[in-house]
Amino acid sequence: MKKVLMPLAIVLLLCLIPYVAVRYAGQSYLFGVIVPYAAAALFVSGVLFRLFDWLRRPVPFRITTTAGQEKTLDWIPYSRLDSPATPMQAWVRVLLEVFLFRSLFRNNKAELREGPGFTFASSKWLWLGGLAFHWSLLVIGLRHARFFFVELPGFIVPVEVADRFLDLTLPAFYLTDAVVLAAATFLFVRRLRDAKLRIISLPTDYFPLFLIGAIAVAGVLMRYVTKADIMTIKALTMGFSEMSFEPPGDIAPVFYVHLFLVSVLAVYFPFSKLMHMGAIFLSPTRNLCNNSRQKRHVNPWNRAVKFRTYAEYEDDYREKMKKAGLPVEKE
Amino acid sequence: MSNRISAILALLIAGAMFVAALLFMQSVHGASSALRAAAPVAVARQVPIDSTRCIASTVYMKSHHMQLLNQWRHDSVRKGNRAHVTSDGRRFDKSLNTCLGCHASNPMFCFMCHEYANVKPTCWNCHISPMEATR
Repeated sequence: MKKVLMPLAIVLLLCLIPYVAVRYAGQSYLFGVIVPYAAAALFVSGVLFRLFDWLRRPVPFRITTTAGQEKTLDWIPYSRLDSPATPMQAWVRVLLEVFLFRSLFRNNKAELREGPGFTFASSKWLWLGGLAFHWSLLVIGLRHARFFFVELPGFIVPVEVADRFLDLTLPAFYLTDAVVLAAATFLFVRRLRDAKLRIISLPTDYFPLFLIGAIAVAGVLMRYVTKADIMTIKALTMGFSEMSFEPPGDIAPVFYVHLFLVSVLAVYFPFSKLMHMGAIFLSPTRNLCNNSRQKRHVNPWNRAVKFRTYAEYEDDYREKMKKAGLPVEKE
Repeated sequence: MSNRISAILALLIAGAMFVAALLFMQSVHGASSALRAAAPVAVARQVPIDSTRCIASTVYMKSHHMQLLNQWRHDSVRKGNRAHVTSDGRRFDKSLNTCLGCHASNPMFCFMCHEYANVKPTCWNCHISPMEATR
């Protein structure tokens, strides 16, 4: 239980720090300007470092996953997605993985039941929950563009309109606000419910869930319940997009909680499992086409081996071979 | 094989959820239109407007005006209750015109902030906005 409660306590403490510091010590410049810029710098440099670190590792061989028929003879149909033969098809596989989580769709579960019963079945809940979680985060991220642009970029407008199409409350209720909280709760409960998952789950599995949940709760509070002055907030965020260091105006502390948790997430991101966001594009089992039969792949760090051909061998020993009566190719 | 079945199942569930959402919205809208038909809107009494002060503090109006306007619309259009009494006992007509009586003096009053914050209120879907009125 400690590995669940510790991350929870840390997130609660992280909520408290900016609240107390802004409310009672007036540290709005530190938490409104310095911390976000430092976090952004660490995020960008950290992500770039991790990506370049992965990119410079050679991947000499194709790692084929046996999920479909490989391309062989023309008259044998092959699976373009599950055993791609060209880089283009491989990138379609990567993009489908990124947007639809096809690997998770193949998720199975095996359970030992009461008595001599064993079930092995397809399990789609993780796929569904993960999809809901990640897509909501994407839409929420896109929606936040309204804080960083004078006019909302064209393609985000329909996303934003679709998100509030239920037209339930005022300010308009965003579907993704509810979906992301529900999905985060599901992903958390999923880890607790199953004994096997409980054992393999680590504090670093719970911490990002709690952190993202807390960010969402702070955002929802600000929008629907406690309210924060959006004009002053937009002035500050527009300052971010213009790289200005103007001190923020009078903003409710809950905004600083939201901003600080996002900063923590940004700093935590490059050094944690959250890097799967960048790593998925570089995963060799997804982005390498399976063309081992068409193309010879040579390991670049093989030592240069001095080969000795049969012709050279015969040149050296031709006379001795003739004397011994062995057949030679060249007289 | 089981994968294909579950794929079809997932699609079916998604479709069913979409249809359920549509039906839900239909029923909600249907109910409200029925209510509208049942309850005749009371005739607005002319309430003298005290234009020296707003109905609530600037801070409150800044953060809650949308909820207040929504409440006013609900009360006046659906319940026929058009009298708003402020916390200090002043009486106002629950109408957008009450607001615009003062705030329309600057035709950009609503738009300055809404444009800046990229907020698109639905007021002007039906009402004539001060900006259109001055044009």
